[in-house]
Amino acid sequence: MSSSDKLALTLLLLALPLALVAALVSGPVSIDLGAALTQGWRSESSDAVILWQLRLPRALLAILVGAALGMGGAAMQGMLRNPLAEPALLGVSSGAALAAILLLYYGSALQASWGSAWQSGWLLPALAIAGAFSAVGCVWLLAGRGAGAGQLVLAGVAINAFLSALMALALNYAPSLFAMQEIVFWLLGSLANRGWDQLLLALPFVLLGAILLFSARNYLRALSLGEDSAASLGYRGRRYPLSILLGIAAAVGAAVAVAGTIGFIGLVVPHLMRPLVGQDPGRLLWTSALAGALLLLLADILVVNFVGAQELRIGAVTAFIGAPFFFWLIVSARRGQQL
Amino acid sequence: MKKIFLLTLLLVTQQATAQNRIASLNLCLDQILLNWLPPQKIASVTWLSADDHYRKAPLPKHVYLNRGRAEELLRLDPDLILVGQFGAQRAAARLRNLGFNVVAIPDAYSLEQLLDQLSALEKTLGHNAPLEKQKRRLEKLLVQPVPRARASALILSANNITYGSGMLEHQLLERAGFANLAAKQGVEQLGRVSLEEVVAAQPDLLVLYGGEKDFAIAHLAARHPVLKNYIDSGRVYTLPAELGFCPALVAADVLQQLTEKRKSLVEQR
Repeated sequence: MSSSDKLALTLLLLALPLALVAALVSGPVSIDLGAALTQGWRSESSDAVILWQLRLPRALLAILVGAALGMGGAAMQGMLRNPLAEPALLGVSSGAALAAILLLYYGSALQASWGSAWQSGWLLPALAIAGAFSAVGCVWLLAGRGAGAGQLVLAGVAINAFLSALMALALNYAPSLFAMQEIVFWLLGSLANRGWDQLLLALPFVLLGAILLFSARNYLRALSLGEDSAASLGYRGRRYPLSILLGIAAAVGAAVAVAGTIGFIGLVVPHLMRPLVGQDPGRLLWTSALAGALLLLLADILVVNFVGAQELRIGAVTAFIGAPFFFWLIVSARRGQQL
Repeated sequence: MKKIFLLTLLLVTQQATAQNRIASLNLCLDQILLNWLPPQKIASVTWLSADDHYRKAPLPKHVYLNRGRAEELLRLDPDLILVGQFGAQRAAARLRNLGFNVVAIPDAYSLEQLLDQLSALEKTLGHNAPLEKQKRRLEKLLVQPVPRARASALILSANNITYGSGMLEHQLLERAGFANLAAKQGVEQLGRVSLEEVVAAQPDLLVLYGGEKDFAIAHLAARHPVLKNYIDSGRVYTLPAELGFCPALVAADVLQQLTEKRKSLVEQR
């Protein structure tokens, strides 16, 4: 790692708290940040409530979700050794999204038996996480014993297509216009009106996912030499790929569950970070988590400051950032650079 | 002259009483028929009225659920077809051409329009006790002077939508003696209000829009813990969902309840 790369990483590390401060001062209402900070968590003044109950959990959730998506993307690209891989490729996002859509669609049927859980609002995220795990489970079973990257991608594409078809089916039969709008908003992702409860719901799953992924970092390093070389280095068997898949399902599933499907972070961030860590897939995990957190937080600051009749959906903002990056990727590939 | 007048009156009442099979092509008019008319007089309502979300009154078994198509009503041969200002206009024109008695009832987006709507209904349906009672009640409430001791209110509806000046909801708040903070901030018609703005504005009464009992992302704002203070201290009023699609049914109730709410808020001070 050259000194300029280290400098870039240090700058990234410093940028995160700065962006956090920027997120805390930006919003439709101007507040006295210093006073609100000193008044403390329990104060009932409106400035303190806005800071501690609205802006801080939202900014921290952006960091958590961004980190989960960035890390998930890095792990997925490392495991599949495919530059176009992203967490959604193996159906994690669509599994979570489908579970949520079904809940929104068949909601009233469940409401009777799960009344209290329903009212508290945690049933949707909990089912979404379960959906993510089931999607990964299906991919794993479909790919079969000793599956390589190729089989996993194929199984992932198949499951993803099937889940997308089911989502389209649910959309077709959406009972009311309101449900249709819900689903579309859900699929574009948003951090609006989220609070500490959503943050605390996602946190344990994202942490569990991070631990699983970081514990498999040496496998990812070995895998960059090829599957046979990794096997000759002792990384054989299903333990390692399974722990990566479960890690992605936990982290990304939880992120999708509380914020909806936010695209492109998992795809773009590892590409941006790879040159900075000397192509090391192990170190790429934490740098991608850092950059993903920063990127989503910046996107959310943009969303908060965007004036319009409706709040801009954060999935649309990240896609706006992500699509031009793709153009740049294609142009550099044409110039003969490595992806 | 007097004779002609009496004759016309007789004809009009005869026409009104002769309507034994009434059909509706409009959701609000459906609700008015179902709530205020004897079931045997209703021939058809729109399919939307089968949804419990829109309907409080029972749906009689013989009532046909139409999808706003002329051929459906043609078969039923109703004496009177009620249609709104918008929607199903093609079907209404076709039925009118075929000689059916199609009457357009104006929609109501303000208190003035609401009274016009009730008058139009009275004229079309003839003598109808619940309708007349509702109209009288509303007129009585509207002639009362606007109370002086004012409190502030802010509406927080699904998807963080708020109602500003020019909306029926705003008029009801003002009539009940509330200052609508959204209108004060220059919101005309509909506007967006974030939770931050709700917290900063500190309205005396937080007004939510009801109806949707299911969990929905659109209602996340209303469930956010920062509004717990409002809910715990009873400074919340929930507008009935009917106010959104058929204010004629509930406007008088809402105005009365809001007036009482303001009184109790002012007394608490």
